[in-house]
Amino acid sequence: MSPCDFNRRQFLKYSGAAGAATIAASLSMDDVAQAASVTPLPVGTPILVIVTLYGGNDGLNTVVPYLDPAYLSNRPDMSLDAAEVLPLSDSLALNGTMTGFQSLWSANKLAIVLGTSYPNPSLSHFASMAIWQSGSPVEDISSGWIGRYLDALPHDPFRAIGTDSTLTPLLAGVRRAGSMVPISGIQIPWGSLGTQIAQFANTSKQDTELIADAAGSVADLYALSATLTPVLKTPPPTSASPLAQQLDVVATMITANVPTRVYSVSLSGFDTHADELSQQNALVGQLSDAVTAFLTQIGTTPRADDVVVMVYSEFGRRVQANGGAGTDHGTSAPVFVAGNRVAGGFFGEQPSLTNLVQGDLAVVVDFRDIYASMLEDVLGTEAGKILNNWSTKLNLITPVS
Amino acid sequence: MTAASDRLELSRLVHRFGLGPKPGEYLQLLAGGIPQARAKILSHRSDPGLSALVTPPFNDVGQAPSDPTAASAYYTEIYDQSVTVAIWWMDRMVLADSPFIERMTWFWHGHWATSINKVQFARPMKIQNDTLRTHALGNFKDMSRAMVQDCALIYWLDGEENVAYSPNENLGREFMELFTLGVGNYSQSDVHQAALGFTGYNVDLTAGTVSFDPKMHERSPVSVLGKRQVFDAVSLSDWIVSRPENAKFIARRLWFRFISTTVEPPASLATVFEDRDISVLINTIARNPAMRRPQYSQAKSPVEWFVAACRALRVTPSKLPESAAVQWLLGSMGQFPFNPPSVGGWPYDEAWLTAAAMQYRINMAQNLVQYGDITPLTSVPKSEIVQAAADWLGVAQWSTRTERALNQAVSDPARLTLLALNAPEYLVSA
Repeated sequence: MSPCDFNRRQFLKYSGAAGAATIAASLSMDDVAQAASVTPLPVGTPILVIVTLYGGNDGLNTVVPYLDPAYLSNRPDMSLDAAEVLPLSDSLALNGTMTGFQSLWSANKLAIVLGTSYPNPSLSHFASMAIWQSGSPVEDISSGWIGRYLDALPHDPFRAIGTDSTLTPLLAGVRRAGSMVPISGIQIPWGSLGTQIAQFANTSKQDTELIADAAGSVADLYALSATLTPVLKTPPPTSASPLAQQLDVVATMITANVPTRVYSVSLSGFDTHADELSQQNALVGQLSDAVTAFLTQIGTTPRADDVVVMVYSEFGRRVQANGGAGTDHGTSAPVFVAGNRVAGGFFGEQPSLTNLVQGDLAVVVDFRDIYASMLEDVLGTEAGKILNNWSTKLNLITPVS
Repeated sequence: MTAASDRLELSRLVHRFGLGPKPGEYLQLLAGGIPQARAKILSHRSDPGLSALVTPPFNDVGQAPSDPTAASAYYTEIYDQSVTVAIWWMDRMVLADSPFIERMTWFWHGHWATSINKVQFARPMKIQNDTLRTHALGNFKDMSRAMVQDCALIYWLDGEENVAYSPNENLGREFMELFTLGVGNYSQSDVHQAALGFTGYNVDLTAGTVSFDPKMHERSPVSVLGKRQVFDAVSLSDWIVSRPENAKFIARRLWFRFISTTVEPPASLATVFEDRDISVLINTIARNPAMRRPQYSQAKSPVEWFVAACRALRVTPSKLPESAAVQWLLGSMGQFPFNPPSVGGWPYDEAWLTAAAMQYRINMAQNLVQYGDITPLTSVPKSEIVQAAADWLGVAQWSTRTERALNQAVSDPARLTLLALNAPEYLVSA
């Protein structure tokens, strides 16, 4: 596909005056102001791409302590031996399917943050994912960490975009939320129907909060469509993996200079309680292939140095396999951060497989140290305000020289 | 003149406790007054509407044949059945004259969320659906007993991998966290010990049956929530369900999905559930004064929106020319029956109100208007047609914004219907 490259004039053509003219008869200028205000993202502006792995990815079969006798003895039917892994050091190796990540590592573009979780990790998918997505292990809050980043800025449906159909919790703020853009693109109805439905974007004094949200979804649809319908006119190939399709759409938007600072994509299927080996190998292989292809594609554009990818899951899995050649819920696991400006290498350290904490891997790094780096060194905003005064961070991003 | 609060309460009753009004039903119920309307909506009797329902057999398809051509036909068949069983259920929701039992079954499907994505076969999902319907308004203790012996649920949570010499915690954990107690009301040790109590159950997935193998079951006493004994699935379920946290948890889950995802239920709500009588609990919830207060609005999920629209337009989902389009559009909006995103069930409220969902909803509404019956608006004078649409669809009140939009289509009942189905006041149960 050939993403159309937007310049400012084209943006105005698709989203400004022309867009307003078709619906102005029934919609006030305020309602289309978002569309009209769209300006292309200047090259050099950092962009964060968040990859969520749902289900709890097995960290030990992703970044593998392949020579550790405890690894081999705890997982009789599902350990990867030295021939099935891609060594990174004399103790750790990537799952053998992750050749793409190996090449990123060799190019010094991949940071692996070992032993990442938060204090007293929850073994519940939902409680733990809520903690990662809210960015708040201590206090139970319902807004997402990227949602709070949006809260501090004027409403702009482009600022954060996810590729699911339902709102991803990490993009939900208290007052604002990211937009969801399906991989098949954005389309509004033509002609008089389009004009009439556009009126639902108006808010009314009688609206409850949810009815106002429903009206807002119409406003966002029209605002997004003005810019994205022409950009996303060719859907990604259905032969690609689900994650590759999502990242293909993201690459198209980035290349077209869509003014989005945060993208959220996801991959599911990591809850491998039984017969884990083949499933998990395939999934981390897809992850590695899709992210590497995405960064390779971006690498050929002027935005090569702008994009940072962060990959996380709600927890890792138990050291010891269960009877079904699978693993139950565990605690800490590696987080990946990739991109041209990423300081490649290991951060944190591999937790011991024998010296366990309440039967599970110890927590070495608090994920808020990673989030703080993403907020400050990618999104350029003060992390403490979004992460409840969290004050430390890892130096994952190389400063622009 | 009917009070606005009556219109609001009735709108909530018909959409949240029913599945949306059939043509004429909203005004008819309004005329009889709220107490009578509530009694009618919360009743479930033999249902003449269901005489039109066709239930496919969903036979045991057995194992895949080895011949490649036959195997290909086999996989096509199981895929088609996975769509058919979902459309069959939505037919049932649409055709029912007394949809309360279907509404409750729908709630319980989201509660014991099991996905055909892993289970693969329609037959075990249909059996689970029948089980949930049987107990939907019965006693939660009986429901829970039936569910821990349900083929689809056991397979979904790896119960057949859970054996005494090597327990698998998936079922034990989710049973306490999501189905009976809620997170924080048990320890990791309880999870492990409960897993041992659930050991020894095997499934025949295509048949949808469960068998017990004593050799794989833990025969030593285990200690769960302070009680030490030899448990099996039934005695373990009984013990966990008897805990006071279960009454609080289930009361909160129902309140969350029927009244508010942001305001907590009154503390007294759990006390009416002491006997685990689901009917008593839901009837109490339906009578809460919150039902008349404007701030308790809830977004309709895609299936709830679709079923309500089908009921109003007399569309039987299986009779739409393209069931693939129904599946694709609902799936794109984020919800298709028997396919929840995870064991945690579906999201709620703001999560459904995205730009992406809006574009697919418009598309689906166009299908429904094309094949549906819009006669409730065709003989209405232009001056009354906007109000008639609210009465037909069971909307308490259009906002001035929506009235203005609908007023532009008073000469075109089909267009007006299409707009009304996409109006913010129809996407949200106000």
